[in-house]
Amino acid sequence: MSDLSSVPSAAPTVSAAGLTLRYGGTAALDDVSVRLGEGVTGLLGPNGAGKTTLLRVLATAVPPDKGAFTVLGNDPGTSAGRQEVRRALGYLPQAPGFHPDFSAFEFVDYVAILKELTDRTARHREVRRVLDAVALSDVRSKRIKKLSGGMRQRVALAAALVGDPGFLVLDEPTVGLDPEQRMRFRELIARAGEGRTVLLSTHQTEDVAMLCHRVIVMVRGRVRFEGTPAELTARAAGRVWSSTERDPGAWAGWRTGTGSFRNVGEPPEGADMVEPTLEDGYLLTLDGESSEVAPA
Amino acid sequence: MRRVTAMTRALLPPVWRSLPRRALAAAAAVGLLLAAVPRLQSGPPDPLVGLYSLRAAALVLALGLAFLLDDPARHITSAVPVRRPVRVALRVALVAPWAALTWTTALLLVPESSRPPAGALTLEAAATAVLALAAAALSIRRTRTTEPGAAISTWLLATGVTAALLLPPDWTLFVTPDDPHWHSTHDRWTLLLIVAAALAARSVTEPLRGRPFRRPSPEPL
Amino acid sequence: MSTALETPVRAAGPTHRPRPWAAVFALARFEARELRMNMSFLALAVLYMIWIVWQTTQRQSDFPILQNVDRGTQMMPVLIGLAVMLNVNRAVLRSRRRDTDRHFDVLVVEPWRRTIAHVLSAVPAALFIAVCVTVQFTWAALKPGAVGHGSPAELAVGPLTVLLFGVLGALFGRLFLSILAAPILLVLLLFAMTFAAPPSGNNWVSWLYPVVSETGSDAFPSDLLERPAAWHVLYLVGLALLVALLAVLASGGRSTVVKATVAASLALTLVGAVGQSGGTPAGSTPARERASVTPEKIRKCVEHGRSSYCAFPEWTGRTADWAAVVDRVQKLAGGRAGGERLTVEQRLDARYGLESDTLLPPSTEPGRVTVRTEWGGNRVPEFAVAVASVLVAGDEKAGTEVCDARVVTIMWLALGGEADPMSALSNVRVGDGVSGPALVLSPTEPFSMSAEQTRIVAELLKKPRYDVAGKVKAKWTELTSPETSMARVAELLNVSAEGASDGDACDE
Repeated sequence: MSDLSSVPSAAPTVSAAGLTLRYGGTAALDDVSVRLGEGVTGLLGPNGAGKTTLLRVLATAVPPDKGAFTVLGNDPGTSAGRQEVRRALGYLPQAPGFHPDFSAFEFVDYVAILKELTDRTARHREVRRVLDAVALSDVRSKRIKKLSGGMRQRVALAAALVGDPGFLVLDEPTVGLDPEQRMRFRELIARAGEGRTVLLSTHQTEDVAMLCHRVIVMVRGRVRFEGTPAELTARAAGRVWSSTERDPGAWAGWRTGTGSFRNVGEPPEGADMVEPTLEDGYLLTLDGESSEVAPA
Repeated sequence: MRRVTAMTRALLPPVWRSLPRRALAAAAAVGLLLAAVPRLQSGPPDPLVGLYSLRAAALVLALGLAFLLDDPARHITSAVPVRRPVRVALRVALVAPWAALTWTTALLLVPESSRPPAGALTLEAAATAVLALAAAALSIRRTRTTEPGAAISTWLLATGVTAALLLPPDWTLFVTPDDPHWHSTHDRWTLLLIVAAALAARSVTEPLRGRPFRRPSPEPL
Repeated sequence: MSTALETPVRAAGPTHRPRPWAAVFALARFEARELRMNMSFLALAVLYMIWIVWQTTQRQSDFPILQNVDRGTQMMPVLIGLAVMLNVNRAVLRSRRRDTDRHFDVLVVEPWRRTIAHVLSAVPAALFIAVCVTVQFTWAALKPGAVGHGSPAELAVGPLTVLLFGVLGALFGRLFLSILAAPILLVLLLFAMTFAAPPSGNNWVSWLYPVVSETGSDAFPSDLLERPAAWHVLYLVGLALLVALLAVLASGGRSTVVKATVAASLALTLVGAVGQSGGTPAGSTPARERASVTPEKIRKCVEHGRSSYCAFPEWTGRTADWAAVVDRVQKLAGGRAGGERLTVEQRLDARYGLESDTLLPPSTEPGRVTVRTEWGGNRVPEFAVAVASVLVAGDEKAGTEVCDARVVTIMWLALGGEADPMSALSNVRVGDGVSGPALVLSPTEPFSMSAEQTRIVAELLKKPRYDVAGKVKAKWTELTSPETSMARVAELLNVSAEGASDGDACDE
């Protein structure tokens, strides 16, 4: 049930219609249509919702069984079009691999060559620029196997950013980062979103709340919500309340640090209503379908 | 002691499952194929073909064994209370009977008329295999690599071919049985086996302290 | 880590134009650098260069025969080829092993173009070998003692072998996803090369392997080699191209151009293979027959001093070196022998092919000395032995049959003028000893030396040369008579004669 009433204000840079992809009997993507514009779009959903599959399709890693999409005006359905899409693409896969014996510089340089940045001087300048951008300048000659997890993640982001792509696909880029690194990453991604189309999948509603101007929620291979973070939050208006006991009528409820319970769902009469957050809106959108947040 | 036995028994199935069995099986298959070459040849028996096919088989088996210590989960398994020598010994113990069986089959595959002295060739094969294992163990001790097999197999091949092409006649390791230096050469093989075994034994122990000398990190570009 | 973050705001417009081939070359340069910095490659390259220097500075290499030197450059690059193959293979498999495939597969440079880059990354290594081979050959060619003619086709085999191995590494990487496949296939390849079809060069199968280095005891004049070297180069080029294109095909480059080029390179390979299929003749050819049986029709004779030196055309420059040895030996001889006119004849038996170890029969005509095609190192004292035996016994045939006390005279004449006579003595004897009985090598048939003769010769060689030379010249007739006993010779030359009575090689 995609919310087409709130399309991006500017013309969409990436638009997909009816994307379907099946693995065996299960549909990883089931008739997915999305439109992305400039800025950062967050992709939320429980595990197995098809987020990574959607990102892989949009990143041209796997062609869809059905449906079509365009990226910056190019159709990846043709060989030439796919090359054009890839020329404009920055991709950070989930749990990216590295060549441990390469230095950070060498690795990003390697990716830059694979992105057809062929002029040596200009390419090295570009590699240094993106390594600067992710604050890795002073470790760029270190072998990747000697870098910490957060640094590696930033190497991967640099590899995605190199060549100044117009469309960035980031699959859970903030996994495994400490809070400070996460803040730094969010800032990086937010800035990367200026003038670019960024699609970011995450499990962190905070990430979405803090840096996305649009959000898509996927459940079981379908788009359950598409709109702004504020709209998602608004879905929970009047549907979040606090109680001293677990409320059996709530879709989801959990004990907070203060000892009271926070419930989402249809509130009973006279409930102690509280200000909704994006997370509440997200949980309500899931409609109790996430395995992580079991109904109380 | 009983705890160690029980633990070893419990460890056997998972260690067996974590062995790079495909690499080992492939090496064994190719080794046997090589050993079968003299039997497939027509014409009068040629002892040189027997000798070289067994040497090639030994090298291939050693190449397979170079992958024995490959453990993608090494960073997890290296922090468990079961010591590395035990874990390595388990791997070796699980593979040793198969290796011995393969080698014996290889020896028997070569027709008797063209079979070189089995004892001496077994010594060569054992020394090569232990050398491969020792190099892998050393690589694991000295570096953070989880899968030293690829690098070690390159190294082993390069060393073997270099030794065959470039060792001066007084030091050569590869002679034919009719060579007067056959026995003295196999004294060198014995020495090589002992050195490799000692190196392997030394390398499987886990160091308690870091190396006193560490390379400074390279300058940024 | 508190560096201020720069804003990676998107620059306006595209930053680069699509230049598909430039990316392939940039990637090839990158991979070539990875290969160059690899320890196993570096170590073997250093070893190879050390080998070239060692090989070329050996005493035996002072008189290189260029049609053999060119073939001598072929085997050692196999070692480098091995490192190149395994490293290219690992580079091809790297992104799969390190799980960067998921990322790289969506990058602009597709797998088949990456394969081309991997193939090209072996080219600098091949060029490095080409430079080394050129240096090795030029160094030998510039030596004053160099004779003969090299062949560019033979010199090209080393670099092409390295290229072929590198390309095979790429193909194996695309066909087999296991890192173990390449080493095992390499062992099979080396085994096949050295054994399943030994590089004997006279059957068509052996010419399918990259290096066919046929070596025997004698160097042939270049027009008798009859190796299909140029066809073989064509074959190697075609094969390298074919393997490279198959690797491209295996990684998804299935365009018509690629398929057409595969067909073309296959044709090239087949043409080369058919062209070389005759191989090197194993036995005689009319030219070989002529050079072996009636060499006088080919040889050119040059006079140096009293004597005449007849050499195959390529060797005429070497006659002066032979003359120097003849003069040195003759100067020590007494009687008529000191002024005898000798004819030194270069001989070879080419009728059994390049790889044969032929024994030349000694010449029966008086005053004729045989010299073979190889020179330098041990060949010099061996030739001196032949000269001395002709001076003492009259002709070569008689010289090789000498077993009595004249052996002492022959050996002293041959070696007395050497700068280091004792090492020359050990060099001409089979087993390299300076005591006990042994066979003595000469350009034709060897003859034997008893323990007692060896002892006396060794003792004489340790004495001052002028001292012995005077006695030899004074007692020349008696010393060169077959009747003279060992004891008498020892007495004449002032050497202790312990057991000299029974020290005759004729008794054995």
